[in-house]
Amino acid sequence: MTTHHMTAADGGGRLVVDALEKHYQLDGAEVPVVKGVSFTIEPGTFTSLLGPSGCGKTTTLRCVAGLETSDGGVISLDGKVLSTGTRHVSPDKRDVGMVFQNYAIWPHMSVFANAVFPLQVAAGRLPKKEARTRAMEALELVQLDAYAHRPATALSGGQQQRLALARALAHRPKLLLLDEPLSNLDAKLRDTMRNELRSLQQRLGITALYVTHDQSEALSMSDRVAVMNGGRIVQEAAPRDLYFAPADRFVADFVGRVNLIPAVVRDRDANGDALVEAFGTRLVTPCPVESGTGADVTVTFRPESVRWHEAPVDRPNLLPARVARVEFLGEIVEYEAEILDGATTVGRVIARGAPLNSPTEGSTVFLELAPQACRVLAA
Amino acid sequence: MSRVERTTRAGRTRPTGMTVATVIAGSVIFLLLAIPLAVQVITAFRGPFLPFGVSTARWSTENFVTLWGLRDDFWDVLGATAAFVGGSTVLSLLMAFGLAWVTVRTDAPFRRMISVLVIVPFIVPPIVKAQAYLLMLSPESGVLNQLLRLLPGDLVIDPYAFSTMVVIQSLTNVTFPYLMIVPILTGMDGSLEESARVSGASWGQTLRRVTLPMLWPGLLGVMVLTFILGLGSLEVPLLFGQESGKDIFALKLWTLISAGAGELPQYGLAAAWGCVFLVITTIAFVIYLRATRDAERRASISGKGFRPTTMKLGGWRIPVLLAILVFTMLTAVLPLFALLWSAITPYPLAFSFDALRTQTHFTAFGEVLADGEFWASLGRTLIIAGGSATIACGAATVLAYGIARSRATGWTRSMDLFASSSVAIPAVIAGFAMFLTFMVINPVIPLAGTIAALVIAYSYRVSIAYRAGFSATLQIRTELEEAALISGASRLEGFRRIVAPLLAPTVFAVWIQMFILGTNEFTLPAFLATPESRPLSVYMYAMINPRSAQLYAPDQGAAMALIFTLLVFAIGYGLQWLVSLRSIGRAARRGRVVDAATDALGTAAVAVEATDATDTRSVAAQQVAELTHR
Repeated sequence: MTTHHMTAADGGGRLVVDALEKHYQLDGAEVPVVKGVSFTIEPGTFTSLLGPSGCGKTTTLRCVAGLETSDGGVISLDGKVLSTGTRHVSPDKRDVGMVFQNYAIWPHMSVFANAVFPLQVAAGRLPKKEARTRAMEALELVQLDAYAHRPATALSGGQQQRLALARALAHRPKLLLLDEPLSNLDAKLRDTMRNELRSLQQRLGITALYVTHDQSEALSMSDRVAVMNGGRIVQEAAPRDLYFAPADRFVADFVGRVNLIPAVVRDRDANGDALVEAFGTRLVTPCPVESGTGADVTVTFRPESVRWHEAPVDRPNLLPARVARVEFLGEIVEYEAEILDGATTVGRVIARGAPLNSPTEGSTVFLELAPQACRVLAA
Repeated sequence: MSRVERTTRAGRTRPTGMTVATVIAGSVIFLLLAIPLAVQVITAFRGPFLPFGVSTARWSTENFVTLWGLRDDFWDVLGATAAFVGGSTVLSLLMAFGLAWVTVRTDAPFRRMISVLVIVPFIVPPIVKAQAYLLMLSPESGVLNQLLRLLPGDLVIDPYAFSTMVVIQSLTNVTFPYLMIVPILTGMDGSLEESARVSGASWGQTLRRVTLPMLWPGLLGVMVLTFILGLGSLEVPLLFGQESGKDIFALKLWTLISAGAGELPQYGLAAAWGCVFLVITTIAFVIYLRATRDAERRASISGKGFRPTTMKLGGWRIPVLLAILVFTMLTAVLPLFALLWSAITPYPLAFSFDALRTQTHFTAFGEVLADGEFWASLGRTLIIAGGSATIACGAATVLAYGIARSRATGWTRSMDLFASSSVAIPAVIAGFAMFLTFMVINPVIPLAGTIAALVIAYSYRVSIAYRAGFSATLQIRTELEEAALISGASRLEGFRRIVAPLLAPTVFAVWIQMFILGTNEFTLPAFLATPESRPLSVYMYAMINPRSAQLYAPDQGAAMALIFTLLVFAIGYGLQWLVSLRSIGRAARRGRVVDAATDALGTAAVAVEATDATDTRSVAAQQVAELTHR
């Protein structure tokens, strides 16, 4: 393997995006798409922009690439300013690599010709022999060196994806941009590619900016995840923090499955943690809230944090419930339970558990919402 | 949102090299089409001869007053033209639809052979076809009338009867609508018909209630284009119309400017006529645009290349085959025979085995091949056809790329419409307007009667190349270019290394199509060519036209027609073979893999079709059909 050639010590650059703005002209009207987005990616780390379609994540990425001209804010890579609202370095002079959603493999070229292209054109031109070596290295990285002289379109979807990656890395850019690169692959291949992509990024130490609407991709690959909604970043955090400590209802709901239960703050304990009223009963939550007593809040907890018991146990936050629906999903079982207050239903909870130990449909059980698994968010 | 993203381009604040190229190409096309039409309109309003540089030139509506003053004549021409063009359009459309249906949607035997046989006449120059029909229908010596005499009854076809002209015009043009209807039928979503059948409808009911309503907008588009083609072509009216005594517009225009001895040609009046008919074709073009927009909305064309279910002919097999046999006799076998017979007989002579033994000789072929003027006019034909195809394809491709890749503004939309509009200008009007233009600018730029003038005039069919280039560009996803930019390539490098190779198969295919159109062209040079610049089609007409006394040699004319046709065939196939070796071959290899690159390869698929269909003109069909799909 010659891959060690590629593990350049200066692999990645530091990307700073500050107060980025972008509008589109639509029938004469200015439609803001990105509204003051700021984030920093440290050299060699992997950051994902996660959000629903239309949230501005792809536009942000394309502004960083230079394929869109931003209307405000500053983008800089390793201190070199790439964009201000008025001046823009053209994409071919930004020293970035990009993998497009639908590969963008040039169909009239061979695999090798695709990979060597960045080393032949003005910005990154190398002597012929060196370009050849470097392109082959890039193909080796993605295990396509054996296919170098096939027509690019003779590759399968997954192989085209790898080729796109090799092409993006061939000129050793400081920043790798990935625009939903796995969304056209089937589920199994997506998992494999996810792991390969991450390990390759870590091996090369390149800085990566990844755009996706798939939360499991973002959580599994990233050092940092920025969740976007309506043209803004609503939360930027490490994957675990994002999952377990979402900043608001949107993040909680968008990242993973979640129960969102309306509640009212009733009391606080000595730590400032809230005692809230939900489902007609009091729940203990360890989560500090600013809101005062009587405020409407939302209690959130993940389905997998719910535990069930056949008979009452002496634990906090224990709720009697009737199992309304059980859905077998293979590795887990998801069930929906109606929380009971006497004979009346006061709410519904989605829970998940191991398939071999699941409640039966129609049975009455006791659900335990461990206080450390609950969070209180603004209503 | 992605649509907005796609149309917003980086760096649009300052003009790039591409923008400049687009503007230049746009200007070339604009001037090419706008100046002649403007000159024609000005001439109509400025005096009886030329609008500038002559003492009689002044602004007046005199020409229109004259036109109205001769209104009996005016209504005669309008009526005769409507009957001639309308009748032949309807007739050729019916034949074309029937043939297309049989080859695409039925289990008729020899479908593949039939589809080739139908296309073959299209590559024969229309002037040759018209000449062949004239020979074939000659009352005494014509082979068709001879055959009819064998039948009981006293049936003789009068070649100069108006109805004969209509039939001949429709037979001459039938391949054009056929080539446009085939892809419409092939691309139809078969499941829509199948669901009608499953709902209990018979074949007939399905055709009437589902198929035809679905195809109607597309067919209307074909009808309008066939109508404009018919209105613009001079060949049949010139060869038959003069004797028939009917004034058809194309012929009227031609007679008005071919003044007799001692009188001035009436350019002003001719221009007024041109304006009237330009209004008519503009209305037709608007109908066409609406029709094709509807066609898009109904999405009856999926372009997915699956074959809809075929109809079982059953007992109809024999009648259908007979009909096709008669059609082939009329469009290929008999015309060819008539030409050959005429070429080997010294004067018009009825066919008999006795005559075959005693009267025939092949000297006419030798005479043609020994004729220096034949070779000179052949050379001019190739130069004019090649030059105009290159100009039209070059300018149109650059403009099409530029417009397809820019944000839709009022400017780009109007330029798009304008570049597509040359299809609405009948050839005869284009020829006349170009003729006037070169006369007007001659004191400044002396081009009148030159080969250069013909090259420019032939280029007016630019919209064929424009539409093809436009749809081919749309099929190249922008990501392919963006990927080049990100890789560090400049815009120009990206265009050269990514876009140009992907567009090449389409551009080549259209070039071949326009080249062959150019070699076949007769109407435009009939207005523009002088003996020094005339292409083969015009030289050949001189040989068969009894009025061109010293050149008149019908046997040589027929021999030349045969050689001419053979040459067009050879050139067409030769070029196609060359292209198939290079870019199309590459495209075909790529085409085997249908995956993520499918979109970009749509372009190549068109070209691959061409090698498959054994005829260059099927490329034409694909490209022209794109006009109707839109």
